[in-house]
Amino acid sequence: MALNRRQFLIGAGGLAAAATTTGLGACAPGAPSGSQGGGGEQGGKTNLALAWWGNPTRNKNTEAEIQAFQQANPNITLAGQPGDFAGYWDKLATQTAGGQAPDIIQMDMAYIAEYGNRGALLDLEKTGADTSKFVEGTVDSGRINGQLVGVNAGINSAVIVANPKIFEKAKMDVPDDKTWTWDQLSDVAAEVASKAGVPFGVVYLFGGDPMFGAYLRQNGKELFTEKDVGFEPADAQAWFDLMMKFQKAGSIGTPQQISEEGSPGGGKPIDQSAIVLGKAALQYQNSNQLEALNAASGESLKLLRAPSLAGKATERKAWYKASMLWSASAKTKNPEAAVAWINWFANTKEAVDIDKAERGIPPNAELQEYIRPKLSPAQQEVAKFIVDIKPELASTPIAPPPGGGKLAEIMFRYETDVLFGKASTAEAAQKFVDEVKSNLQV
Amino acid sequence: MSAISELSTVHRVKAKTPEEKRLRAREAARDNKAGYLFLLPWLIGLVLIVAGPLIASLYLSFTNYSLIQAPQWIGLENYARMLDDPRLLQSLKVTFIYVIVGVPLQLVVALAIAMLLNEGMKGLAFYRSIFYLPSMLGASVAIALIWRQMFESDGLVNQVLRLFGIPATTSWIADPKYALSTIILLHIWTFGSPMVIFLAGLRQIPGMYYEAASVDGASHWAQFRRITLPLLSPIIFFNLVLQIINAFQAFTQAFVVSNGTGGPSDSTLFYTLYLYQRGFGQFQMGYAAAMAWLLVVIIAAFTAINFFFSKYWVFYGD
Amino acid sequence: MATPLETTARLTGPAPQEAIHRGPTWRDRIRSVIKHIVLIVASLIMIYPLLWMVASSLRPTEIIFRTPGLWLNDLYIQNYTEGWYALSYPFGQYIINSFIVVVGAIAGNLFACTLAAYAFARLKFRLRGLWFSIMLLTIMLPFHVVIVPQYIIFNKLGFVNTFVPLILPKFLATDAFFVFLMVQFIRGIPRELDEAARIDGCGHWKIFSRVMLPLMGPALATTAIFTFIWTWSDFFTPLIYLTDPIAYTVPVALRSFLDATAGSNWGAMFAMSVVTLIPLFLVFLFGQRFLVKGIATTGGK
Repeated sequence: MALNRRQFLIGAGGLAAAATTTGLGACAPGAPSGSQGGGGEQGGKTNLALAWWGNPTRNKNTEAEIQAFQQANPNITLAGQPGDFAGYWDKLATQTAGGQAPDIIQMDMAYIAEYGNRGALLDLEKTGADTSKFVEGTVDSGRINGQLVGVNAGINSAVIVANPKIFEKAKMDVPDDKTWTWDQLSDVAAEVASKAGVPFGVVYLFGGDPMFGAYLRQNGKELFTEKDVGFEPADAQAWFDLMMKFQKAGSIGTPQQISEEGSPGGGKPIDQSAIVLGKAALQYQNSNQLEALNAASGESLKLLRAPSLAGKATERKAWYKASMLWSASAKTKNPEAAVAWINWFANTKEAVDIDKAERGIPPNAELQEYIRPKLSPAQQEVAKFIVDIKPELASTPIAPPPGGGKLAEIMFRYETDVLFGKASTAEAAQKFVDEVKSNLQV
Repeated sequence: MSAISELSTVHRVKAKTPEEKRLRAREAARDNKAGYLFLLPWLIGLVLIVAGPLIASLYLSFTNYSLIQAPQWIGLENYARMLDDPRLLQSLKVTFIYVIVGVPLQLVVALAIAMLLNEGMKGLAFYRSIFYLPSMLGASVAIALIWRQMFESDGLVNQVLRLFGIPATTSWIADPKYALSTIILLHIWTFGSPMVIFLAGLRQIPGMYYEAASVDGASHWAQFRRITLPLLSPIIFFNLVLQIINAFQAFTQAFVVSNGTGGPSDSTLFYTLYLYQRGFGQFQMGYAAAMAWLLVVIIAAFTAINFFFSKYWVFYGD
Repeated sequence: MATPLETTARLTGPAPQEAIHRGPTWRDRIRSVIKHIVLIVASLIMIYPLLWMVASSLRPTEIIFRTPGLWLNDLYIQNYTEGWYALSYPFGQYIINSFIVVVGAIAGNLFACTLAAYAFARLKFRLRGLWFSIMLLTIMLPFHVVIVPQYIIFNKLGFVNTFVPLILPKFLATDAFFVFLMVQFIRGIPRELDEAARIDGCGHWKIFSRVMLPLMGPALATTAIFTFIWTWSDFFTPLIYLTDPIAYTVPVALRSFLDATAGSNWGAMFAMSVVTLIPLFLVFLFGQRFLVKGIATTGGK
């Protein structure tokens, strides 16, 4: 009898395992599957799940937006799934693995290729997404393999934020960001750091990929090509050498200070960043975070452009980044309804009246103009900046291919090695490129 | 007698007469049935919730699995890649240091405080709660954040050191040399769990023995060695085994203190943190599964060694 | 020196060591004072971070991270009054959710783990060693790898966005930690008591419920307390399974206060953390009495 029992249990365990693994297989996009993500149809009405990450302000905004949308579209109900940024991606991955991906997904540039390249996202253009009024350069960031899988939900651009008070203290003018070069940035930073007695002349400059991307583009390279890294170890080495030059000049602080600050977005939360605590004169940031910086620091910070090689802003090859995008699950039961939300959010005055550019400056040119006077002073400054840099734009960089989303993290780790003397810039550059390449899953 | 061997052999008291033999057989059968009945919830759980995912994760270790697409069989490739992976080696190094240094230190502190608290004193309940508080919060975001703050260049720790005249400006948390130590300290700080278990165990030792020993003129130390340690040994063993298993799997504290990076320079890249980075961060769940099973083997080895040596120092009353 | 264990004596002696009848000497008093000083200093060091968090919860967010000290100039209560309502639902909703999950988890663990532990520690059945090893194995596997297949199972059963995946596993003794804990405790209880009950005609169930359980007081209390605390702070499982914000538990809700990209409401988060710490602390404060109580029952029946 005991034997039978054992056989039964082993058999049952095996069955459970088999069920699980076939479950894993059946959850591939495109394969027929029983339960669908969140959505369902009941007699003409559609129920969609809408997931986003944010903060209490954005959550309240989005809830209001959902109400407004539902009023305008009485046949569609949206069930909101808010979350915080860090947990959002784990949850989304697990839900997708289980075939329960939400119908409408707030997406980030670092992840859009991971999902888009693997067929998890809906082709929005084919389903009727309307980006006709979008400013040039804001649509293509959501294209993966030619398909539009993400609609820009807010424009931002890489900027260097300056604290005029610290420059005052150093008895210096805020630098002219239309003509400065990288070397001049270093000189200014070193000067203001020593004269004003702050640890960082400029902070976060080397730890994030946008500044590295800007540098590469000015040198004729890119961060990524469609299936590969877009630069050579020599380029990375030049960047690391530049960093060491800055460090020795005293522009970016000591290795420990740099390590303590962490990489932008991966280290300290924005409201504890150096410029907020009065420890930096200049800080790399995304433009749409100006309001948060002002609120946290109590100052009126200024937006400056990234430097150029030639000292001419028009040659700095800037670009419009999507601070976040709206995507839809490829397996949603009602693609049209999902796209209806996206179109409503991107193209109606109602939506932008509620959102007030919290997610970034609206890419729809008409709405941009419409909402500008209604924005807060900081947001108006951002909006003006976005428009002003139009002549400086070059082609929109492509999204990181699958496996490429962690480039900044990897880069910062090797930069820390170099700073602490554990590796030479040449070694670090080679290993850095090798590691990024080995992670790509194309 | 070793715990495992005790469990795997079935006691057989010699049955002499055929009647006794039949009685024994009936008892054995009844025990057998009772055993499985008592075990039923666990067995159901095993089959429904644990065995499936366990076996599935083993299967996944032989695949390429991005979570977004179905797994693709690749055989031993994940395991082969693990041999070549410098970050894997680093994560093993970090985790081993944490286990070998952190676990004994934490247990010693836990036992010391438990013994202090066991002596029946005023405010016992209060002190016990205070010492347990950090464990309650140790894994929370709030505390890990505060801990990070404390060890920064201008954080509390340095400020206190400066009070004593030491010119302290190192950022403990940002220097690859020291970052791991701050997490080990955090681990020791949360000694509340093993402490509570030690306390429960100490309370089971009758005071009579200590009294008798005192009357015999035995010193505190001798009492500790001859009474406390042997009687407490099953609990010490339990804490040791489980703290080692837990330490190998340490995740949350390293995750929050290093912001998920394992930095600076991978000096706090715990094994499960690296596993998480690979699985969820880089969509390489198959590789993560392979890493998980390697960890199982390592932990099983340590546990087996623990059980093996336990027969030399663990004393069970039964 | 006699080697310990007169088995009945083990359970009848008074627990704490006490000085033999002479009364406290001068030396004892000094010892006691030193002990208290050491304990107080250690306590302060231990809880400084917590004290700082409580202090920070009474400061406006902007100055929290610039003030490492404990001194409070004003009491900024808004973190509590506003923080309670800052999320989609009043914070009480999340506390209730956590309570539901925790109570379920405790009931489950107490029920299933004691049964399994009794089987492993006292009963002889075929393959006991094998099952015990498997049980240990389940503790050794990192949960990040098992979570996805488990999610798929619960999804297929339709239990996503319910509390079932958070509670049901406890009723099936998946917390092998507690099974192992109780096994060790049971093994410390002398078999003579079992034999005595057996001779009295008790079957296994009676031995379990009438003899074992009452003696396992400390182990049961430990299980209940630890389950409470671990389940209360569990973040990842509720994150994955609960999609409707109304069902969020406390740790998930606390994270909503944080947005690393746009400025977090630290004051409110610390305030709500303090609020959620209170039940934990109270549970422990009152629960630890039971850690001690189990010894009171005598061995002879």
